[in-house]
Amino acid sequence: MVSAIFIITTGLGTAFLLGLLRDSQKGLAYGLTVLALAFMSWIAADWTWALASGAVQTVDVYTAGVKPPFAINLRMGLAEASLVLLVSLSGLLSAIYLKRSLLRLGRRAMAVLLIAIMAFSGIILSRDIFNIFVFFELAVIATGGLVLLSEDKRALGAGFKYLIISQIISILMLLGIIFVYHDSGSLNIDHIVQASTFAKGSSVAFFLLLMAFVAELKPFPANGWALDIYESAHPAFSAIFSAASGAAALFAMDKILLIGGASWLPLVTGIGIFTFVASNVLALSQTNDRRLLGYSSIAQIGLILTVIGLKDVLGDGYMFIAGGILFAHAIAKAGLFWISGMVKGRDLTDWAVLRKNPLLIFAFVTFMAMLVGLPPFPGFYAKWELVHTLMAEGRGGLVAMILVGSLIEAGYLFRWFGYILKREQTAEAITFSVRKVGVVMITAIAGWTIGYLWGELSGNVNLLSNGILLFALAFLFLEGLDARIKNTIAIVGLVGLFVLSYPDYNPLQLIFASIILIGGAVILLASYHERGPRIGFYPSTLLMFAGMAMLIVAENSFAFFAAWETLTIGSYFLILRGKNSEPHALSYILFSLGGAFAILAGFALAADGQAVFLISGLSKVAEDAAPWVFILLATGFLTKTAAIGLHIWLPGAHAEAETDVSPMVSGILLKAGLFGLMVLLMTMGKTQLYGVELTHILLWIGALSALLGNLMAAFQEDAKRLLAYSSIGQMGYALFGLAMMNHLGWLMALMFVINHYVYKSMLFLAVGGVAKRTGTRLMYKMGGLITLMPMTFVAVLIGIIAMSGVPPLSGFGGRWIFYNAILTAEYRLPMIVIFLSGPIAFLYLFRLIHTIFLGQLKDEHRRLKEPPFWIVVPQMIFIAFLMGFAIFPGLALRRVDTYLADLFPNHGLSWSGLTITSEFGYWNPVAIMIVTMVIFGTLLAWLMFINRKAQRVKQFNIVFSAERPFRPETTHFAWNFFAPYRKALGFLMQPFVTQFWDFISRILHTVSDVVRRVYTGDGQHYAVHYLGFVVVIYMFWVGA
Amino acid sequence: MEFTWIKIPYAMLTVFIVFNYGMILTALIQKIGARAGRRFGIPIYQNYLDLLKNYAKRSSITHGYMFYLAPVFRLTGGIGLLVFVPTIFDSEMFSNLSFSGDLILALYFVFFGTLGMALGAGESGHPHAAIGVSRGLAQVTTAELPFVIAVFAVALQYQSLSFVDIVAAQQGGIQNWTLFTNPFAVIAGMMAFLGAMMRPPFDVVLAPQEIPIGPPTEYHSSYLALMQTNRVLFPVAKIVVYMNLFFGGATSWTEFAVKVFLLYLFSAFVGVVFPRFRVEQSIRWFLVWAVPVSIVSLFWV
Repeated sequence: MVSAIFIITTGLGTAFLLGLLRDSQKGLAYGLTVLALAFMSWIAADWTWALASGAVQTVDVYTAGVKPPFAINLRMGLAEASLVLLVSLSGLLSAIYLKRSLLRLGRRAMAVLLIAIMAFSGIILSRDIFNIFVFFELAVIATGGLVLLSEDKRALGAGFKYLIISQIISILMLLGIIFVYHDSGSLNIDHIVQASTFAKGSSVAFFLLLMAFVAELKPFPANGWALDIYESAHPAFSAIFSAASGAAALFAMDKILLIGGASWLPLVTGIGIFTFVASNVLALSQTNDRRLLGYSSIAQIGLILTVIGLKDVLGDGYMFIAGGILFAHAIAKAGLFWISGMVKGRDLTDWAVLRKNPLLIFAFVTFMAMLVGLPPFPGFYAKWELVHTLMAEGRGGLVAMILVGSLIEAGYLFRWFGYILKREQTAEAITFSVRKVGVVMITAIAGWTIGYLWGELSGNVNLLSNGILLFALAFLFLEGLDARIKNTIAIVGLVGLFVLSYPDYNPLQLIFASIILIGGAVILLASYHERGPRIGFYPSTLLMFAGMAMLIVAENSFAFFAAWETLTIGSYFLILRGKNSEPHALSYILFSLGGAFAILAGFALAADGQAVFLISGLSKVAEDAAPWVFILLATGFLTKTAAIGLHIWLPGAHAEAETDVSPMVSGILLKAGLFGLMVLLMTMGKTQLYGVELTHILLWIGALSALLGNLMAAFQEDAKRLLAYSSIGQMGYALFGLAMMNHLGWLMALMFVINHYVYKSMLFLAVGGVAKRTGTRLMYKMGGLITLMPMTFVAVLIGIIAMSGVPPLSGFGGRWIFYNAILTAEYRLPMIVIFLSGPIAFLYLFRLIHTIFLGQLKDEHRRLKEPPFWIVVPQMIFIAFLMGFAIFPGLALRRVDTYLADLFPNHGLSWSGLTITSEFGYWNPVAIMIVTMVIFGTLLAWLMFINRKAQRVKQFNIVFSAERPFRPETTHFAWNFFAPYRKALGFLMQPFVTQFWDFISRILHTVSDVVRRVYTGDGQHYAVHYLGFVVVIYMFWVGA
Repeated sequence: MEFTWIKIPYAMLTVFIVFNYGMILTALIQKIGARAGRRFGIPIYQNYLDLLKNYAKRSSITHGYMFYLAPVFRLTGGIGLLVFVPTIFDSEMFSNLSFSGDLILALYFVFFGTLGMALGAGESGHPHAAIGVSRGLAQVTTAELPFVIAVFAVALQYQSLSFVDIVAAQQGGIQNWTLFTNPFAVIAGMMAFLGAMMRPPFDVVLAPQEIPIGPPTEYHSSYLALMQTNRVLFPVAKIVVYMNLFFGGATSWTEFAVKVFLLYLFSAFVGVVFPRFRVEQSIRWFLVWAVPVSIVSLFWV
């Protein structure tokens, strides 16, 4: 093993060596620099490997061969080694990235870079506080120098402000060190900890030390200087500043906290969480990319500081959690800063130029997912552990703050991603540089690697060794292929997975699996009409399906949550593909992540410290925690089913999605929420909070969702929006059925699950196909398309008959079960709301078919044809299925009925012969179908016979106030179709919920906009901020 | 309640009887309405003449497939509703095809014809038809509500969704009728009944003066004949449902005739007295007056 001291000496020595070279030997100098950094990285990597594999133990390196306190010692443990590796690698990659600039600026700049990396490594390695101080001073000087690398004029000012603050920090640090030395008689951290004299009266000494070290971590609000650096410095330096310098300062903090002891930890946590939340809020109103990244860096460091402050609480998991967040942050932030160096414009929307480069998009997504803490990256595992431990310790408030902060962070990052994919490309295109893109890609791969590593380290399943997920991710490598080939692979994959897993499913899982895998495959048939590579579609789609397939078989909470997050991410990318779906995809992901965080907190509360928490364990949650677990989990699931109040993301997300995506996200994805609710209700059952039955509240939520969803659907002009709102209503019904908590209620909900999949997918495809042909989704702009698109018309006709519940189609079965179910339900009032919402469905359904297919054909549509073949195919399959399911509902429901009998033994159905009997009534689908068809057929034959000579007349041949209309636009009664209804019940349509969420968003942005004005850009102000920060903390912590 | 082939001719017999009874009843009610307005009214056999005339008309045009299908949908709805409900209590002969389903089937089958009609009317391309449908659908959302709640109350009361059980429970004297055992349900149901009968004050759907008869506006000759047939069948079929639910059903055709006549007369009586509501007025009326009564009935049981 090469001694750790060589990391320091290599950096320092090479820097001196560079001084001996001539100015003209730039190439040599650069070569030496890269070589030195590579060597340092190699040493660190070697140590990391050796320590991690257990080949060597932590060692101390004694300089001058004497033990402390007479000399300085460097310590090389696993944490140190991996952090030094991080630091030196970020230096190496930056050097590669900076090749041009470094060659232009010459050997001095290279020396400064080496010194910076050496200094950061020193801060990590050294166990001597004065030595750490020295390395800090070196880092300050080097940082100042590196800031000047930038061509931005403001960098000079930023560097100067940094020096001002650094002086104050140095003063405090030195004073602290002096006092500590005075009290303990040593500068060695381990000695000070053991020194008995130190404990007394040394709080001021440690306070000063702490404040100096904290300042290096840029706590809010004493961090204006750092933001200015991030904004104006060269991005490659910012990468180092964020990743390496942040890591070093955090580790230093961790070390000196040994001196202070446990009593100071809460303060650190407080500063950390305050910084985390505040910085994320402030980042909201940023439009400058680097400044935004700066805020995000500060926030992430704040989060790690929070974790450091919790080290006594977290125990064994501390390193895993802190490391997970730190590495995710460092890798992601470095990568993003490097990308930023390639984008010419500084506005967030200028990043739209990345769109031309799929590799960079992939890298961006990787980094974004790492920062937000999405699977399969280390932050995900770390947050899982963190939240679980904190919840078990009863620190719910802190968890809430962490999750809210994370959500806000996700908000601005996903908004940014939306800009990248959807905004107009205004800035200059990226000049492709293999070197720079290579650096970014290496970083991204490092992100995935460390994700794998953290998966292995976590006590849970490693997501990156999950076959289903890997299958989905494999599509990333097939991106070059034609969409039709990929489509075939995807369909085969889905069906194959179903066939393979079929024997293991229980009847409930089987219903969901059929919808997800077989149903998904059927919808994917529609994707055959797309040409070209269709980049991004298949990984996202398969990710969503993989998530759902994993969800239904998840046995423990971790698998469940990971699957939940996976399907959320997949569906987000899928939704974002729509032409105008930028804002809607954003609101989708925010609500979804908010819901996911609620689920996370719920599981954590339920697990109460258990490492592996089985889903079935929900039935055994402690009584005082149970209602809260129920509420948290239910909130998460209700977000997915778009229950009223949490629904505002749905209409836009579903309506703006692509033609074949809408049916997936509506027909299939929504079922994830229902599945969650089923699992929740199956395990926890009826739960009470302060005497209020929570299922009763769900009953009301379901009823109101059904009513308002239907009502809003009736007033839409946009066909896809209409269908989207109707989904809210339909999910309300299903929720209602579940919340009844009786046998038939559940059966009805399952029937809705099946039916809703079929008819909503069919209708979305039909309407999407029509929209493709007409170029609009506004129904009043269409009309009379029945003759041009007869197949689509039939699909819509069958769809709306099934959906409205009119016999003889399968929708009626759902209604019949519903009526039988409510007869045994405990509550009666919510039924009234459900009754009211029922007929309202007729309103929007009729409107859908009338305004599109009936009425007057528009002139511009006269030459239209049936939508593309492949869009029609699945619709025909759905029609066949609906007919079959209408006649033989028992095929799907009978087994479920038996299965539910275990859960709710009473009030089941009896399936004798063709008649289905409940204890109240009976229903014979075959007879209904035959009777109806016979009467219908007879009458039709009769009418055709007497009308055999009927003449088809032209479009305007109607009796219209003794005149003959000639303009379809003025004759087609379509716009504001239910005007009188609006007059009567329009008051229910006030967008209170939208206003509420808008208000929340506005408040956050306003606060962000006001508070960020503390950063005046004036170095003196920054100095005052810092001093004020120190004084306030003194008064509140030490003084108190 | 198993199927036997003999049920088919029996059901057809029911349809035949109800058809003829409906023809006369409708004319009679119209005549009574006319007399209330101090007019003489139509002869009692007028409906037969109209029907024959329409079937005999040679001119026939079509606006497309759905236009064609609408009368078929409509009449299927009427006949279907009639044969899915037992007409005469305790009569094997006139239990019709009620083995197919229970009360819920009847409740939803009502919409079968409405939906088909709305579609056909839509295809005619006539704005008045679309306006009529828009009004009709808007009105039905709240007009049906009190009825559905009342049905729920009745089903809860008798713990059954089967017509046979519900009627059986009301046998043995007038005091056993739902009318007396749960008067609020019946009041609510009868308020909804007014909305379902297409008579003033709830006939804005057809509104002969503004949107000349609304949805069927473009229908003529044999199409119209089919719809006319339905127009005499369907109200009776609906009344049978009400009769079974609230008024003890009928044990003989005589009782049937009297009850159906009185119920029909009730809607006509209200119709001649009150002027027409606009859609939003009728929606409010149902929500403000009828729904609370039905809610009371729900808690009564």
